[in-house]
Amino acid sequence: MSDFQFATELFGQGVANGLMYSLVALGFVLIYKATDAINFAQGEFVMIAGIVVSALLSPAYGFPIWLALFIGLAFMVIFNIALERVVLRPLIGRPIVSIIMATIGLAFILRGLGPMVFGAAPRAIKLPIPDFPIIFGPFFFNPIQLVGAGVSIVFLLGFGWFFMKTRKGVAMRAVADSHQVSSAMGINVEQYFALAWVMAGVVAMLGGVLWGSMSGVDTQLALVGLKVFPVVILGGLDSIIGVVVGGIIVGVVEALASGFIDPYVGGGTKDFAPYVLMILMLMIRPYGLFGRKLIERI
Amino acid sequence: MRLLTTLGAAAIVASSIAGTASAKDIIIGMMCDRTGPTSVTGTALCPGYHDYINLVNSKGGVMGNKLVAHEIDHEYKVPPAVEAYQTYKAEGAVLVSPYGTPMVYALVQKMREDKIPGTSAGFGSAAAGNGERYPYMFPIAASYWSQAAAAVQFAKDKLGGSLKGKKIAYIYYDNPAGREGLPVLEKLAPKEGFEYREFAVPPPGIEMGPQVLDITRRYRADFVIAQLFGRAPSVALKEFKRAGFPLEKIVGFVWAGSEGDIQAAGGWEAAEGYNTIQFAGVGSDYPVLQEIRDMYKANGSEDPSAMKYTAYYNRGVFQAAVHVAAIENAVKAKGGSGDITGENVRDGFYEIKDFTLGGLLPPLEITRQDHEGGGWVRIFKVGKTGYVAETDWFRAFRPEVVELLAEEEKAK
Amino acid sequence: MLHRESGFYKTDYKSDMGLYRLPISRFAAFGMLVLFFAVAPLVLSEYHLTLLSLVAIAVVGALGLNILLGYTGQLSIGHAAFMSVGAYTAANLANNFDLPFLITLPAGGLMAAAVGVMVGVPSLRIKGVYLAIATLAAQFIIEWIINHSPSISGGVQASIEVDRPTLLGVKLDQPAELYYFLLIVAVIAIIATQNLIRSRIGRAFIAIRDQDIAAEIIGISVFKYKLYAFAISSFYAGVTGVLYTYYLGIASYEQFQLGVSIDYLAMIIIGGLGSVLGSVLGAFFVTLLPIGIRLAMEEIGTRFVEHDVLAQVISQLRQILFGVLIIVFLIVEPDGLNRLWINIRNYFRVWPFSY
Repeated sequence: MSDFQFATELFGQGVANGLMYSLVALGFVLIYKATDAINFAQGEFVMIAGIVVSALLSPAYGFPIWLALFIGLAFMVIFNIALERVVLRPLIGRPIVSIIMATIGLAFILRGLGPMVFGAAPRAIKLPIPDFPIIFGPFFFNPIQLVGAGVSIVFLLGFGWFFMKTRKGVAMRAVADSHQVSSAMGINVEQYFALAWVMAGVVAMLGGVLWGSMSGVDTQLALVGLKVFPVVILGGLDSIIGVVVGGIIVGVVEALASGFIDPYVGGGTKDFAPYVLMILMLMIRPYGLFGRKLIERI
Repeated sequence: MRLLTTLGAAAIVASSIAGTASAKDIIIGMMCDRTGPTSVTGTALCPGYHDYINLVNSKGGVMGNKLVAHEIDHEYKVPPAVEAYQTYKAEGAVLVSPYGTPMVYALVQKMREDKIPGTSAGFGSAAAGNGERYPYMFPIAASYWSQAAAAVQFAKDKLGGSLKGKKIAYIYYDNPAGREGLPVLEKLAPKEGFEYREFAVPPPGIEMGPQVLDITRRYRADFVIAQLFGRAPSVALKEFKRAGFPLEKIVGFVWAGSEGDIQAAGGWEAAEGYNTIQFAGVGSDYPVLQEIRDMYKANGSEDPSAMKYTAYYNRGVFQAAVHVAAIENAVKAKGGSGDITGENVRDGFYEIKDFTLGGLLPPLEITRQDHEGGGWVRIFKVGKTGYVAETDWFRAFRPEVVELLAEEEKAK
Repeated sequence: MLHRESGFYKTDYKSDMGLYRLPISRFAAFGMLVLFFAVAPLVLSEYHLTLLSLVAIAVVGALGLNILLGYTGQLSIGHAAFMSVGAYTAANLANNFDLPFLITLPAGGLMAAAVGVMVGVPSLRIKGVYLAIATLAAQFIIEWIINHSPSISGGVQASIEVDRPTLLGVKLDQPAELYYFLLIVAVIAIIATQNLIRSRIGRAFIAIRDQDIAAEIIGISVFKYKLYAFAISSFYAGVTGVLYTYYLGIASYEQFQLGVSIDYLAMIIIGGLGSVLGSVLGAFFVTLLPIGIRLAMEEIGTRFVEHDVLAQVISQLRQILFGVLIIVFLIVEPDGLNRLWINIRNYFRVWPFSY
């Protein structure tokens, strides 16, 4: 196989993977956009959703897939509403480090709670998606990646539409801009905070199912959360289109680094390269490609 | 003041714990990780360990001396492991089993100073098997070097008896343990006439499409040796399957082939054909496991859920069995007295002979030079419903591995 | 004679800036020194000395992180990486050049400070969440570089064995000797921090934390002092790494991963941001908490469930409780244990005349 063909295949795979990173990062951006909170537990949200769904699918419960997905979704919605109410609301207006640390504390709780309730052994999420490769001209796709990319695109478009066109979406952007002004204009700010966390929960649930079906589910699934940071910094912390572009960039850079740089350095550069890229971006354009320029300089 | 009370309280509780052990109890310090990055292993391995110890105790202990396995979970972090070790030392433990490579390194000096032996099955570098350099550390299981040698031998057998002109892909988790197999491949490649290439999977390894694409479509490997940890093994299985690569031509090291990995990859049928190297027998058909099940039945309780995960559970039993065997030898040497020291137990390791628990354990030969026990492994294949033994206990390229050990020793 | 203060009135700046704000602090500090230097090694067992040694190491690291986060207001999630820089520097110097710890200890700190400045420079334009993410990236990048550079990490295993430290020809390999070694370093770190924050530099840090734009306007070079904060904080982290290396006899990058950075953050948040005492209390608390939970559970839990079931529950419960504690402190007592201590002290200072 020629290097060029290999590169195109890697590229295709990178795009598909990148869109799945976008899906996880989307939850992070939704929360930041509406509430200015930084959620370091997004990976753990994905993990807990994956654990719940895979446990329901396992022989011990034996739920059909649609019911498991539905219960998983309901669980994430209720869980995130409770979370917003109990943990995040008292922290409104606190310095950013408090919120970061609170979500880190939350991550600890979820990592203990998931295995405590459902057992620590890894499980599979079997989706009705075939396991053989789909060959598409010079490209070579995994069906699950195509589905994942498709779901990501649908949701990214959906949320984009929601923020631009619907009344609630516009209100949410207003809340993000200024809590006080939107409150004065009669927007129930706290309700929108809760909504943002619920949406993040829904996205985490999708991420948990898709990533869970790729890799199997146990507490290690939470590590997918570490992919979020390069994606959101590249794209911009508060931009949905940025999440898509950032995700694709990270996916493609990872794939190409793995295929073309690894052989020369004798180590895995796949996770290293996006972080270097991210540092560069922070130096040149900290607000990312599509983020709002709200950087104070001193 | 508060600090004093905290410490005081800790002291009181600690002494009360130590006080619960009567004079004849033999204490084993057993570290575990049930919450950290290797929790999947710990949650099945540690119950296996306790069950075997309980089984021995239910039969009257070691010549009438009761065994106490004190478990401390260190979350795969070094400072809690040091604290745990000191707890064991204060309790008078005669044997300690550190869990995890960094912890083994952090404790190996102290254990030598305190003359408390320990085992590190599946952890640490291959060099740790050198009994002269680490007189109190016993890996007791095949090192990554022995595993790599066995994997090459297995590939040779599977590819028709010769590796001339064949391509082997070594896909590894990009950490020190992951890279351990490389020196062996480097040494064996010219000898056996194969070429190899390394493919790194950086942590966390939840996605490895590009590497698998490279192996299957660009490098076109004839055989794959996988040294992966965590979620990476199941991801690899799925990716190779989707890429249309025959799973029969993949062999995974000891941390890449548990039931959990296979289940996460979609179950036995989905992973059928994949080969896994094991240093303790897998499956449930061993007399000792039946005894444990009978013990549970006699107590009126169900089999523990961890028992389903035989790859790790059996390793717990394996470790406990070797520990008990060493302790038994020490007690015998003292004429049945439970009043033994770490040194006695260390000597007990050298006396372990013809002890295989019906095939669960390899034919270990622990000598003063070789604490690895010979580097025995057995390869099991993933069948339609469970593991199928693919080979008997064997070891491969032993002279080359020993040579590598000598080279490493010289370099130090 | 039993009498109590009616208040303290400082009549000049000099006394206001004194090391001991209250006369009683002098006695308390002296008492603590006697307690830890003279009494503890005599009465405590080896096990408890080990605990105190681990706490002493953690104190140094927590103080360093508190200088950066608590006093200067800059968040770092990559502090463990600076520790590994210190650890490997000291290990290489000690093994390849046979240098004593009197040289390797500061050398490890200085190297970590240099790396900290390297991370700090690009971070100067950014703050808050961007800085947090940049330091997270630094954690991974430093880990990767150490892992892939045999010349730093000492070979494939990425771990270097180091002999115990020697002082005046005496090898410090007894628990009590190591304890003294660590304690002295920790005490120096405490005094140094206490003095640093009362100096011009320390006050500049606090000004930057409270209102960086105002600080700039009153003539504090924010650029310079943020770099100082990074350098000093990383120096402490590097020293922490060196201490771990000597204490454990090995430098290994696997000891200094992201989880360790987070443990140290938890220490200063639970202990109290911007407080030396808080750093010390936090180091005690986070180091001893898992042990406390285990001991308590082993005492209580075995009465209800089988030991092997319990082992699983203890592990997960400890993790959950750790998370809960972080959140509870953040919500209920953002100033941490330090504030609790001040409240108690103030209560008893005026007791029983609390009005």
